[in-house]
Amino acid sequence: MAASMRRLLPGNCGRFIQNVLPNERLLESRYSKSHGNTFQRTLPYVQFRMTHSPNTPAPWWTKKLDTSAPEDLTSDNEAFLQDMVEEKYSVDSPLKEGPWERADWTPRSVRCGLICRKIGVIPQWLNNGKKFYTTLLQVADNHVIRYTPPEINRERRRGSRTPNFGIQVVGADSADPRLFKAEYLGLFQEAGVMPKHHLSRFFVTRDAVIQPGTQLNAMHFSVGDFVDCQARTIDHGYQGVVKKWGMKGGPASHGATKFHRKMGATGGGGNMARIWPGKKMPGHMGNEWRILKGLKIWRINTKYNVLYVHGPCVPGPHHCYVRVMDTILPLRKRKGDGPKPPFPTWFADDYKDQEIPEEIFDESLHRFTASSIEFEEEK
Amino acid sequence: MTSVGSSRALTRYAANGSHKWFSSQSCLTNTEVRKQRNKAFVAEKKRQMSLITRVEKIKVEFKGHPEDTTLIMNRGLSTPYNCAMHMEELLRNRSALALVDGRPWDMHRPLVKDCELQFLHFQEQIPYLSNMVNKAFWRSGSFLLGYIMDRAFKDQYYVEPHSWPAPDIRSGSFICDIDLKMDNWTPNEEERNCLTRIGYNMLLSTSSKVFERLEVDASVAQDMFADNRFKLEQIPDIAAKSKSQNTVTVYKLDDHIDISGGPMIANSGLVGLFAVSAVHPIDTKFGRLHRVQGLALPTQLKIRSWTWKLLLERAAKYNATRLPGEVPSSDDNISGSQTIEQPFLPPSGASRPQEATT
Repeated sequence: MAASMRRLLPGNCGRFIQNVLPNERLLESRYSKSHGNTFQRTLPYVQFRMTHSPNTPAPWWTKKLDTSAPEDLTSDNEAFLQDMVEEKYSVDSPLKEGPWERADWTPRSVRCGLICRKIGVIPQWLNNGKKFYTTLLQVADNHVIRYTPPEINRERRRGSRTPNFGIQVVGADSADPRLFKAEYLGLFQEAGVMPKHHLSRFFVTRDAVIQPGTQLNAMHFSVGDFVDCQARTIDHGYQGVVKKWGMKGGPASHGATKFHRKMGATGGGGNMARIWPGKKMPGHMGNEWRILKGLKIWRINTKYNVLYVHGPCVPGPHHCYVRVMDTILPLRKRKGDGPKPPFPTWFADDYKDQEIPEEIFDESLHRFTASSIEFEEEK
Repeated sequence: MTSVGSSRALTRYAANGSHKWFSSQSCLTNTEVRKQRNKAFVAEKKRQMSLITRVEKIKVEFKGHPEDTTLIMNRGLSTPYNCAMHMEELLRNRSALALVDGRPWDMHRPLVKDCELQFLHFQEQIPYLSNMVNKAFWRSGSFLLGYIMDRAFKDQYYVEPHSWPAPDIRSGSFICDIDLKMDNWTPNEEERNCLTRIGYNMLLSTSSKVFERLEVDASVAQDMFADNRFKLEQIPDIAAKSKSQNTVTVYKLDDHIDISGGPMIANSGLVGLFAVSAVHPIDTKFGRLHRVQGLALPTQLKIRSWTWKLLLERAAKYNATRLPGEVPSSDDNISGSQTIEQPFLPPSGASRPQEATT
């Protein structure tokens, strides 16, 4: 690719540089060659330090799961407790304060995102017959748990690159409170929602704050929006250089002795006289945070809260959690002249009287339930 | 008020003709009272021990895990706990109550004749046995509440426990009715946590505290509880209902002493989760008292934090079990289960299941 088109976006992880290219045709040509994990990368991969962040909880976080001995209860008592769980969480908790004021969206506002589960990949067709793949991302029972304003955020995260952003903690997938320790349950008291299996943070501007306890819906996004999908990639475990770095290895035959999938030489000699730090070598592959930017939402299913985003390559295995946010790509971002997004989020109460269609399609998307070609009767 | 037998330099005054004791006019503190009471208890216990000059042997037939055995123990000195010491650590650690000739018996109460012995723990499968243990646990909980309230307040507040009703597990909490000499004291969450912590400080102390039982003459009891106007009224009634018509049973845990009829659990180490859930003011024929309610669970029974919180919510609700002064039921600490002299027989056909060896 031309050097002028290559632009390292600010951030903290190595990524494919394809994200600077708005040309969908180019994307299409790359993906048309895809065969699972073995497709040729047409662009070089840039390594960054600190991408192999561990997937274990930090020591100062509250301990989550209660792994003490199981409660030795009679079946009657078990049934009673399950009823009590339902009873306690079925009622909307009365909020101490009234609903927070809602601001108006501006092009500089940064909204909260959603935590979705990648549930599969299916093909879609355009009206002109073109086929492409879409990843289904189901909004996994999201509720906003907490908001931390920028002032506190600035204090806690000294030297962070987002000093003017607040943090919105969102939880996904409600769970039985009896699974968790008391400290973890305490995190959800402010919001008054059931404890969640998974929590994630989103950086938001002050005007985009959402009150804790609010449910987040797939309608937070609209069809035609572009989103960034961030997730941990498939964990391939310890892998060799051929799979991990795409090295060629050696010949399978023609007398090659014990050199089929090896690295070969390790350095260039000369002044350095050592192996460069960051040398591509075998090691752990996968389970790294990666973000795929500028994916179009082709379709939304409001009944099951599913987003159909472009492409089969959203990072992560099936049923992994994916963070979905409004895109930061400048050419795909929402402009001030177009329709405004639901701000700070889509509230079901505002649309109580209206009937919301079960499926919302992009204009150019072919619908199999649509009527086929009609001919006017010749008279 | 009845005259105090032993020498005591403390005097009490009643102001405005009411039964309120004002601290500024008296030097009666719970700490002092406790010290004197302990002295009397220890002296009486020593005296009773000195009465046993000859050590006589008794045959104790033990039935249950690990095997049925016959133990030769000392009359009036050996306790079921001592029998367990001869057998297994498991029996020592988990036994909450003993069954002597079918009757519930404190683990640290001396055996007086040839008998049959069984041990009870908190996971008994047979309902009539588990009910016995539950009631003993609930009763011990009430005793613990008395222990806490006795030492929770500053010296200027003199607190007199009245009594507690028969344990009723279905009510959701155990109770102790106390005269705080205040009109309306409802502690907030922090204050309740303070009270709970006093309990935990004792429960979690390295040396597990044992419930010591002593049968004393009514006169000795009068002397011990001379500073508690309620107990002084109750003692003659309790003594009259006892076998010898003159005996009152007292229990001691750490340095708290109180009157109670029924058996208590073996030691404080058996209590796991514990909380003082609420304090409700109640109007009785003795005036304005305060009903302190608590909740506890044995260490043997595991529970999740969410479930415990649910039970605690229930325990905080006002417990409407009979108020002091209402008609008492059979195994109350006032009337005492000392009246029940016939052995507690299991329903016919019921047998003790084979014990698991874990």
